[in-house]
Order: sequence, then structure tokens, then C-alpha cells
Amino acid sequence: MIHKLALRNLLRNKRRSSLTSVIIVFAFSMMILFMGLSDGGHKAMIDIGVRMGLGHIIVQHDSYSDDPALQHLIAKPEQVIEQITQQYPTLTAVTRLRVDALIQAGRHGVALTISGVQPNKENQVSAIADQKAIIAGQTLPQFSQDQQMQRLGGIVIGETLAKNLEVRIGDTVTITAKPASGADLARSAFMVAGIFKTGLHEIDTFWAEVPLTSLQTLLEVPNSASQIALYSQANPETLAAITQQLTTALSDYDVQPWQTAAPELYSAVTLDAAGMYLLMLIVYVVVAVGILNTVLMSTFRRQKEFGMMIALGSRASTVSKVVLLEAVYLSAFSLSIGLALGLWGHYHFATEGLNFKEVFGTAMEAGGVLLPEKFYSILDTSKLTLSVLFVFLLTIIVTLIPAIRAGHRSPLAATQDA
Amino acid sequence: MIKLTKINKIFADKHQSFHCLKDIDLTINQGEFTVIAGPSGSGKSTLLNIMGMLDKPTSGNYQFDDNDVAKFSSNKLADIRRDKIGFVFQAYNLMPVLTALENTEMIMEFSGVSKKERKQRAIETLEAVGLGEFKNRFPAQLSGGQQQRVAVARAIAAKPLLVIADEPTANLDSQSTESLLDLMVSLNEKLGITFIFSSHDPRVIERAHRVIHLQDGKVMRDEQLENVTAGQPQAAMSS
Ligand SMILES: Nc1ncnc2c1ncn2[C@@H]1O[C@H](COP(=O)(O)OP(=O)(O)O)[C@@H](O)[C@H]1O
Ligand SMILES: [Mg+2]
Repeated sequence: MIHKLALRNLLRNKRRSSLTSVIIVFAFSMMILFMGLSDGGHKAMIDIGVRMGLGHIIVQHDSYSDDPALQHLIAKPEQVIEQITQQYPTLTAVTRLRVDALIQAGRHGVALTISGVQPNKENQVSAIADQKAIIAGQTLPQFSQDQQMQRLGGIVIGETLAKNLEVRIGDTVTITAKPASGADLARSAFMVAGIFKTGLHEIDTFWAEVPLTSLQTLLEVPNSASQIALYSQANPETLAAITQQLTTALSDYDVQPWQTAAPELYSAVTLDAAGMYLLMLIVYVVVAVGILNTVLMSTFRRQKEFGMMIALGSRASTVSKVVLLEAVYLSAFSLSIGLALGLWGHYHFATEGLNFKEVFGTAMEAGGVLLPEKFYSILDTSKLTLSVLFVFLLTIIVTLIPAIRAGHRSPLAATQDA
Repeated sequence: MIKLTKINKIFADKHQSFHCLKDIDLTINQGEFTVIAGPSGSGKSTLLNIMGMLDKPTSGNYQFDDNDVAKFSSNKLADIRRDKIGFVFQAYNLMPVLTALENTEMIMEFSGVSKKERKQRAIETLEAVGLGEFKNRFPAQLSGGQQQRVAVARAIAAKPLLVIADEPTANLDSQSTESLLDLMVSLNEKLGITFIFSSHDPRVIERAHRVIHLQDGKVMRDEQLENVTAGQPQAAMSS
């Protein structure tokens, strides 16, 4: 009977109930959609971010962060990598040597970062000089395939840098850097093998990659590296656990998660996540206000009815239950539809993806962080379940006071004229 | 069944107070068919509300079945109203979202009567008030007289000991009034249900066994009429 009363009372004012329902459906499905897109976007941002000469986990000499000098390199990086991959065979490890250097071509000279990489390995994890980013010429592995014909080592440089230096594929550039011996400057010539474009200004203008061994020779640091970058397919929780364990295992080294190694990427993601929480808060408020408004309006006109139920012998709790059930039905109905719609939208973006480039043109960089061109919606089921439960609970909480008040109507209300 | 001793009711707010019921002493026995008569404003409704435990007296003692009503909690009062008292209000007061049948069943459901039994009793009662064929209509689809008969059916379906009706015929035409009165009289005679009415309608008053005349909150006269036909209420109840 109380279910019947609650349902029929909802249907009594179809317009009001459906309006509330539509608002909740809209707000809730939007929330789910944004939740999926936001998490998907973040994952894509991180995925692309760690591929910009970074890594999910960076292992360095203990003092390298404070003083990135050639005295603070990892000696025999292969041994360290073996120690890591024995414990975590799923991790991909690459070795890099970084140095600030001068690149010259003709009358142009630019100070930049030279990254010595293992061409075949780096290719698998980096998005700087891989096949997709190369807009002219070859990747380093392709170039070294043809090395027999070349007298010089290959170098890949950014699009803007190539423009600034006025060089083309096949041109020769000179790299000048201070070697470990600290004596005179060391100098070496390279041939421009490829030109890449990442969309990140900093990288496209002040970055070049050469084979690791060439740079080790130039700097007189054989078998040494600035960093070992580790890449993983694991989810964030597992990754954090691995980082934690590695920190203990490699106590002689400095082990940094990408969050520490790339603070600007981390803050871009968290700032964005904060926006998501704000949106969730707004949705919660909309649902709460919508339900409360409906309950208040519908109970306001029924004071006499509540009084009558009590006069006839209903317990206060029975009357309260009727009011609570109305809110529960309205919110359960609206949330189910909102959930269905939201999941449908999520499914679309999870399979088709959202093409950022198509929607927002080509503004690909924001605050030194590369925005992904295309990304796929990802829904965290526990987050979703929690928010459904929370909204539901919220419904009950906001209805509690009007429901209790309805139960405590004086039975005399039944005898008074409406 | 009902024993009122020195009942006073004073309505007071910030600006004024109104002494509505003055030292009412009254005993009503089981099986009586009593009308509280009196002009408008004499305190009839107030008195019925107190007897029906919808309102509390300002002072005085109310014994219901030898229990002090003042000692009951509001849930206990609700349970007594549900199990022992049937109400008919002046303005019908049906649940608009429930059909005639559902309105009649509602209280029985709250008191835990089985679904089958309450449905059967509700249908029987609606048939007894002549609304068998209207049982699936909503109040808005019924005339005033029909609604009031549903209200009566609701009041008596649970077989209460006492039915309290505040001017039940005030909004009815004379034909509806007569059939409603016939129904109540027969329930009183057959089941021994105690009826307490308020009314200033002579057609109602002439059917009563006892008429209590109220004026300015005081009992002016308490008439026992000759046509007492209530028979043996105790025997009727237990049959
Ligand atoms: N809640 C109330 N507050 C103040 N005065 C009231 C209230 N209820 C009734 N009264 C007053 O008490 C008097 C008796 O009312 P009532 O019992 O309704 O009389 P009757 O039913 O005989 O017409 C009236 O003068 C009315 O104005
Ligand atoms: Mg009155």
C-alpha cells in the first residue's frame, strides 16, 4: 500500500516528477560521460607525456637530480637493468645519456639538450623520434641500417630547430660539449637523419637525439648513462607499488615516479581531475536540490492527507516511509536512466574515441603538456558505483527531514478544511 | 467505554484565549447511538476530536475502556485509533490517489489484516453502503454522497468499537442522508458498534437514542430518547 501511495503520488503531478527526472537524468549521464572522458583523457595525457623523453619510472644516480654532471652517471647501466627486469620482467627499460650542448650548422648555433639513446629500444617507448613523429628523413634505427654508406653518425632534430638552423636531411651539424675529462671542449659532426614534430615547442626547438654510443664516445663516458627509463602497461596502483618496491631495492639510486620526474604533467592531470570533482559536486547538488524541491512541493499540499493518515491510525513512520519512498522511486528511476544513457555515451567514446584534433582544432599543447590527439573513455567502475550509491544516499538524506515532518503532522489537520 | 470528567479545552494564542469546552462530564456506553447537537461554534467538533484522541484536553480526565488516555504515547494513540475507532469527517477526506476499495482497505493493511481478508471485508462493506460497483473508482470520480459513503465504509470495515462522525451529513442531499443514516442504524443494531455523531440536522437527531445538547462549550441537556433499540451490544459484538 505504501508503495502504491508513493508511486501514485509521483504520477499525480506528472509534469513536476518528469521535470525533476529529466534534470537528474541529464546531470547524471553527463557526469558519467565526463568521468569517462576525463579519466580517458588523463590516461592519454600521461601515456603521451611519459613518451616525451620521460618514463613511468626514472632511475638515476643519487646525486644527478641535484647536480646533473657527468660525474653523476649510472655506471654499467646494463647491470642495473638486469637487476630490475629480473624482478619485473614486464617492464621495458631504456638507457639514456643527456647533456647540454651546442649544435651548429653554418653560421647558426643553438644551445640544446642532446639525448643519447639506444635507437632500437628507444623506438619502442618514445614518441619523440618514432616513425609517427618523423616528418622528414628517417628514424635513427632506419638510418643506422644504411650506415655502411654513411661516414657520419645520424642525428634527429626537431622541426623548429631544423628551421632555425636552416638545415635539411643529409646536412651536417656539429655538436660541441664538455667531456668528462673536463679538458677542452669535444666536438663531433653528425648527419641530419630525420626531422621530428611532436607538437611540444620545447622539444621541437631544443632537442636532438643521437645514438647512445656516439654520445658516450664524445663525452668520454663509456658504458655510463644519465638515466634508465622504465615503461609499464600496469595500472596506476600497480605502478605506484612497483615504484615503491624499486625505491627499496635500488637504494643506491634515485628512483622517481613520473609524477615527480614531470611535475608539470602531474599538476596538469590533477588540476583537471579537480575540475572533474567540482563537476561531480555540482551534479550532486543538482540532484539533491531537484529531489528536495520535488519532495517539498509535493508534501506541502498534502499536509491534510498526512494528518488524515495519522488520524486514521497510521504510525508516524508509515507516513514518513511514503514520503521517503517517493524520493527513492524518483531517484532510482532517474538514476537508472541516467546511468543507462551515460554508459551508452561512454561505450561510444570508449570504442570510437574522442578526436581532440577534430573537435578543438590543433591546439595541442597546454602549459608544456601535450594534449592527446585522440583518446578513449575509461570508466572506473568503483568510482562509478560509489557515486551512484552516494547520489542515492543523498536522496534519502535530503528527504529525511520532510519525511519525518510529514509523519509528525497533527491528526487534527484531517479535521480542518483544506 | 468513554468517560469524560471535568474536560476543559482552551484555545490560546499570543493575543487571546478562548474557553471552548467547559467542565464537560460525560459517559458514553458501548452500543449507544449518540448525537452531539448544538449550534455552530458550540464546541461539537472540539469535543469529538478529544473523544477521538485527535486532540488533547487542556484539563480534565479522559478514560477510554478504563484507561487514562493522557498516559498514552502518540504511537499508542494511533494504534487505538486504528484498531478501535472509525472516523468519518465532515469533508470526506479520502486519499485521492487510492480507489474506493483501496481507501477502505488502507487501515486494515496498517493493522496487519491479511490481504485476502481485508479485500473481502472491504468489498462486503462497500456493497453494504451500496457502492459495490464503484469500488475501483477514484474519489474524484465519485459524487459527494458516494465519497461520504466510502468514508463510512472505511470507518466501519475494520469493525471498530466506536465510530465518530463529525457532521457526516452536512454536505449530503436528503436522500443520501437517509440512506447513510439507515446504514449506520443497522450497523449499530446488528454489530453493536457505538456511534457518536455531531449534527444540528433534525433528520439525524430524530434517529438517535441519546442527544447531548451543547451550547457555549457546556452540556445543556442530555436526553435519553425512548426508541432505544440497540439491543444487547455485548452479545452482538461477540456473535
Ligand atoms: N484550533 C482552534 N483555535 C482557536 N479556536 C478554535 C480552534 N478550533 C475551534 N476553535 C473555536 O472553538 C469554538 C468551537 O469550535 P468547534 O468545536 O469547531 O464548534 P462546532 O463544531 O460546534 O461548530 C469556535 O468558536 C471555534 O472558533
Ligand atoms: Mg464543527
